Amino acid sequence: MNRLMRILGVLVVIFIAAPLVIVVPMSFSDARSLQFPPPGYWLGYYYAFFNDWGWLRPTWNSIIIAAATMVLTMILVVPATFALVRYRFYGKSVADLMMMMPLAVPHIVMAVGYYSFLGDLRLVHTHFGVILAHTCLAVPIAFLVLSANLKGFDRTLERAAQSLGASPVRTFMHVTLPILRPGIMISALFAFIQSFDETVVAIFISGRNAETLPRKMFDSIRQEADPVIAVISTLLFAVVILALVAPAGWKSIRKRLRSKTPPAAILGSQ
Amino acid sequence: MNSYLEIKNITKRFGDFTALHEVSLAVEKGEFVTFLGPSGSGKTTTLMIIAGFEKATSGDVLVQGQSLSGLAPYQRNIGIVFQNYALFPHKTAADNVYFPLQMRGYGRGEGLEKAAEMLDLVGLKGFGDRYPKELSGGQQQRVALARALVFEPSLLLLDEPLGALDKNLREQMQIEIKRIQRRLGVTTVFVTHDQSEAMSMSDRIVVFEQGRIQQAASPLDVYHRPKTRFVAGFVGESNLIPARITDAAAGKADSPVLGNCEVKANGAADGQDVTLLIRPEHIRLSREPVDGRKNARMQVDTIVNYGDNALVMGRVGDLNMRARVLGRDVIILEEGDECCISWLPESVFVIEQ
Repeated sequence: MNRLMRILGVLVVIFIAAPLVIVVPMSFSDARSLQFPPPGYWLGYYYAFFNDWGWLRPTWNSIIIAAATMVLTMILVVPATFALVRYRFYGKSVADLMMMMPLAVPHIVMAVGYYSFLGDLRLVHTHFGVILAHTCLAVPIAFLVLSANLKGFDRTLERAAQSLGASPVRTFMHVTLPILRPGIMISALFAFIQSFDETVVAIFISGRNAETLPRKMFDSIRQEADPVIAVISTLLFAVVILALVAPAGWKSIRKRLRSKTPPAAILGSQ
Repeated sequence: MNSYLEIKNITKRFGDFTALHEVSLAVEKGEFVTFLGPSGSGKTTTLMIIAGFEKATSGDVLVQGQSLSGLAPYQRNIGIVFQNYALFPHKTAADNVYFPLQMRGYGRGEGLEKAAEMLDLVGLKGFGDRYPKELSGGQQQRVALARALVFEPSLLLLDEPLGALDKNLREQMQIEIKRIQRRLGVTTVFVTHDQSEAMSMSDRIVVFEQGRIQQAASPLDVYHRPKTRFVAGFVGESNLIPARITDAAAGKADSPVLGNCEVKANGAADGQDVTLLIRPEHIRLSREPVDGRKNARMQVDTIVNYGDNALVMGRVGDLNMRARVLGRDVIILEEGDECCISWLPESVFVIEQ
């Protein structure tokens, strides 16, 4: 039984990892279109990516749109999460439902809606329009992540801070926020990724001006199956790996620094 | 003459439920007072009202004659140790203890120096750079205590702080807390539902039940001279026997089960229905009645032997009685036997309520 489960686990891992195993070698391929296994290897398509404004501009667009979406989402989600997790008020369950709505509605339906709505506002084909639409899609995900964190937050800590002389504002700055910081950062990261990955809405409303990377990739694969797509996928994968590994690495560096600080600092030798 | 801490006629209602009824209490400077009672008796609510986390429906709390009612928790200068310690997980032990000083405008150098002194006092010298999760339960407890004391609070409140510790550590921390409290002379309110903790630590025990103070007295008074049946039953083991005073002046009472008893009436009037309290350790077991003592025949149901002592439970008539005797005294008995129990007249305490 145990063995069977283990084999099953390995199979699942292989199934999940398989696309990567295919995509990464293909990015180094010298074939003229996407082909696996690659007939030979070179870095030509990496060179092509970094020298083609046709690719760099959508990349830049995506980064700007995702960053702005992340900021806007967090401005909305942090206060909303505190309100919805900690307080009871009239209409709370409706507000809860509205927060989750974009997750339940198919993206294609949302996209059609945005297309006509933003069209009336003359925001179709603009960065700002895409940012607004992406924020709507990112809010429920950021909210889910952050509310899970906030629900697990022990409010006795806030009481303790207040009993020790911290006003509500200082309690928030010194205790609540630092403890929730990892949760807020993960929540923001998800908002960023949500926007960066989003394709359907981007195809409908990003147009030529605000063309995002996924949209460009979709267009490209439809027309010519340019192996640069494999390059971009590999680069994105590398960024994600880095983002996942960085916090752990940072932690171990800090720990090493801390253990080197002599206890004299604690004894107040400053 | 004002007391250091005064709780005046505090009533607390949650909707239709009244959690506290007109609770009043005066605590002297430096006193160690324990709020003892079952859960839901109002002891923690009272503590939270003192701390400012709950608002009393009516009544007032004063420290040194100053009302606290207009002050937010952070303005009250009261140190609290919470049940789960509530240490800040993102700060080291030293920074946790420094926190209240930081809030009071101390510089980091001076603040950390004071924090280190306080950690030293609670027996954690050299643990300042550890994070809470790197400390054991007892050590976390000490950090929480240091943090609640470092800013010289006007009051120290302890909310069942020993509940999460195992038995040995608990006893050790009881002694530690008492030592530190005496050393600093800080007026302390300790909340617990553990009567042995209350007995061993307090200058005074305040027994709560159903939102009322049943009795506020020294541990020995609470144990030997409980004011109500509830106090007698909650603090220590007890035999409670219904009786009626027949002659208060001559010290005579009549019990339906035990017959005539010699008692000290304690101000109860002739003809008054009372409860007689006999602590199990004041009861002796024997085969035959003993002269000079009140004797009764008991049917032994259960013997629980603890080695050094033993608990013998049985019935006298339809009344359940328990006796706690030395371990060797129980050898003569077996469950199902009938034996003689006896006690001295002065071991009987009359409870009026």
